[in-house]
Amino acid sequence: MVIKPDTYLLTAALNRVIPPVGDLPGAGGMELAEEVIKRSATDFRFQDALTRVLGALPSPNDFLALDDDGQDDALRTAESSHADAFGLWLDVVYTVYYMHPEVHQRLDWHGRSPQPEGNVMPPWDESVLGLIRKRDPFWRKA
Amino acid sequence: MTTAEHNPGRTADVLIVGAGASGAAVAASLSEAGFDVVCIEQGHWQDSFKYPTADSDFEFKAMSSWSINPNKRRLPEDYPVNVEDSAVDPVMFNGVGGSTIMWVAHTPRLHPSDFRVKSQDGVADDWPISYEDLEPWYDLNDHVMGCSGISGDPANPPRSERPMPPIPIGRDGEMIAGAFDRLGWHWWPSDAYINSTRYGQGRDACNFCGHNMMGCYQRAKASTDLTYWPRAIDQGAELVTGARVREITTDSVGRATGVNYLDAEGNDRHRTARSVVMAANGIGTPRLMLLSDSKNHPAGLSNSSGLVGKNLMFHMFGGTFGVFPEHMDPWVGPVANIILSQEFYETDPDRGFLRGYTFQMSRGQGPGSIARGVAGHRVPWGENHHAVLERRFRNTLGLGPIGDDLPEEHNSVTLDERLTDSSGLPAPKITYRVSDNSRALLDHAITQGTKVLKEAGATEILVNPQSRETGWHLMGTARMGDDPERSVVDKNGQSHDIDNLFIVDGSVFVTGGAVNPTPTIQAIALRTADYITNNRGDLKA
Repeated sequence: MVIKPDTYLLTAALNRVIPPVGDLPGAGGMELAEEVIKRSATDFRFQDALTRVLGALPSPNDFLALDDDGQDDALRTAESSHADAFGLWLDVVYTVYYMHPEVHQRLDWHGRSPQPEGNVMPPWDESVLGLIRKRDPFWRKA
Repeated sequence: MTTAEHNPGRTADVLIVGAGASGAAVAASLSEAGFDVVCIEQGHWQDSFKYPTADSDFEFKAMSSWSINPNKRRLPEDYPVNVEDSAVDPVMFNGVGGSTIMWVAHTPRLHPSDFRVKSQDGVADDWPISYEDLEPWYDLNDHVMGCSGISGDPANPPRSERPMPPIPIGRDGEMIAGAFDRLGWHWWPSDAYINSTRYGQGRDACNFCGHNMMGCYQRAKASTDLTYWPRAIDQGAELVTGARVREITTDSVGRATGVNYLDAEGNDRHRTARSVVMAANGIGTPRLMLLSDSKNHPAGLSNSSGLVGKNLMFHMFGGTFGVFPEHMDPWVGPVANIILSQEFYETDPDRGFLRGYTFQMSRGQGPGSIARGVAGHRVPWGENHHAVLERRFRNTLGLGPIGDDLPEEHNSVTLDERLTDSSGLPAPKITYRVSDNSRALLDHAITQGTKVLKEAGATEILVNPQSRETGWHLMGTARMGDDPERSVVDKNGQSHDIDNLFIVDGSVFVTGGAVNPTPTIQAIALRTADYITNNRGDLKA
C-alpha cells in the first residue's frame, strides 16, 4: 500500500526520470504519480517494484530537499541496489507516460491501433523482386 | 456461436483436448467427415472487436493482462510454468484459437532438408514423413487459413499459388530488401496468414493498423476461431470452453476412454469418447500425459519410450535492431511478417554450426515498448531520455534470426512438485539450456544481421544475443517416429502404446527447422485427421 507522502516522493522522482520536454512538464508535473500507483496496484510484481524503489529512496522530505543532482544520485543509488525492481518500476513509469494523450500529440502519434479506419496499405510492387527472381533455386534437396 | 454442451452423457467418436491451431483443424476435418466431435478448451471465445490494441492503454495491457507470457498474464485459464531452470520463457495464449489469437501469422514452411537432418547432417533424427508427404495438407491449410504470398522463392521448393497476393512490404521493407540485394543475399516477401484482400467469411483485408500481435480487430489476421471453428461447429462439433482437462482416462487394457475435467464452475466432470486427440501443444500435451499416469501407464500416458516431455525445442531468437536516420513510422503494417531471408538456412560446415536460421524483419511498436527497450536496451531515464526515445521511436527496424534448435533429451517438460495452476493441478516445469550449436548459430546471425542493417543505412545497432521471452514455438515433447523405443507416436500421429490416442500439435516434431511452425502443425493435424477418416472407421459410432 502506497501512502500519501509517497505520492509526493513519487512525483518528484518522476520529474527526474522523465524530465520536462517542449511544452510538457516532467512526468511528475503531469500528475502521473496517481496513475503509476493505480496501475501498479493491478499486479503484485509492479506493486512490489514500486514499494522497493520508494523504500530505497530517502524520505520524502529529505528527497525534496535535494537539488536536481542530488535527487539523480539518490535515484542512481536505488537503481544499483535494487536493479530488477527499479527496471520494472521504470517499465511501468514509461508505459504510463507514453499512454498520455499530450505525449502522443507531441510525438505526432495516434496512440493506439486506429480502428476502424486503419492506415493505408501501399500497393504491391512486383518490381521489387527483379533481382532476387534471377537467382537459381538453392534449397537443399532431401 | 454455441458453446453449450449438448448431450454430455453421450460417447463422442473423437474428443479433442485444446481448441487452438491444431485442435480446430482436426475438429473441422473430422466433423466434416461425419465423426461426432467434442473439444474441451480451458480458455474462452474472444471478441475481436474488444482486442486491446484499439485502447490507449494497450501497451500497459501488453505487460500485464494481455502479456504473451502466461506467468505474467496469470488469467484463471492459464497455467503457470516453472522457468527457474530455463533460458527461455515459453509464451502462449489459452482460448479458442489458442496462440493463433496472439501471433504475427508469419507462415513459412519447413524445408525438405528439415525432415532429413540425421541423414544429411548426422545429428538428431529424421522424420518418418517427408516434405512431399505433407505438401497436400500445407496447401489445404493455406486455403482455409488464407495465405498471402507469392511463388518463385528460390530458397524453397516450387509450390501451388497462394490464394492471395503478398502483403506489400512497404518502404521500410524495400529498404531492407535492397540491402539484401546489394549483399547478394536471399530475401523474399513473407508468407502470411493475413488477408491482403477480403478473404474468408467476415474477414476484411488488412488495414495496416499495426500492433497485430494482440488479436486483429479487422479479422484480417487468421486465427482458428475465425477459420476452422465456424466450419467445425456448422458440422455439429461441440466445443466446451472454460473447462480444464485434468486426466485422460483409460480402461482395464489401457485404451483411452475419455477425459476427466473441471467445468467452468469447477465441478468434476467426465466425458467418454472412442478416441482422444491431444492438441494442447508442446507443453500442455506432455503435461497432461504425465498427469494421466495409471496402473497401465505408470510413467504417464503413452510413455513406454520415456520420451514424453523430453526433447523440448524452442526456436532460438536473437535480436538485431537498426536505428535509421530517417523516419519509418514502423507502427504501420504487420509487425513481423514483411520479408524474410533464408540465405543461411541450410548447413554450411564452414560456419561452425549445423543447420541454420531464417531472418525475419520486424517493425517497431508504440513508444512505451520502445522506451521499455528494443533488444533489451531500455531508454535511459533522466536528461537524455527524450533524445534517445525520439531517435529510436520512428526509426527502428529489426532483423531477428529464428534459429534451428536441435533436440536434446535434457531439455524437457516435467511436472513441478510444488507449483500448481488455479485448479490445483501440478504445473509444468521447463528445463532448458542453450546448446553450443545454438549459441554459435545466433552469434553468426547477429554478425550477419548487423551487416544487413548497416548496409540498409542504420547508424546504430542494438543487439540482444538471445531473447528470453521468445518461447513461441513449443516442439518435440512427444515426437513421431517409426521406432516405438525412440518416439511416442507414429507417422500418423497415433500413439505407439494406445491405438485410440493421437497427438497432432507441435509435440510431434522430430526437429524444429528454422521457421514458424504453425503451418506445419496444422498440416500434420489435417493429415492425421485424414488418416483417421480413411483408416479408423472403427472409431465412428
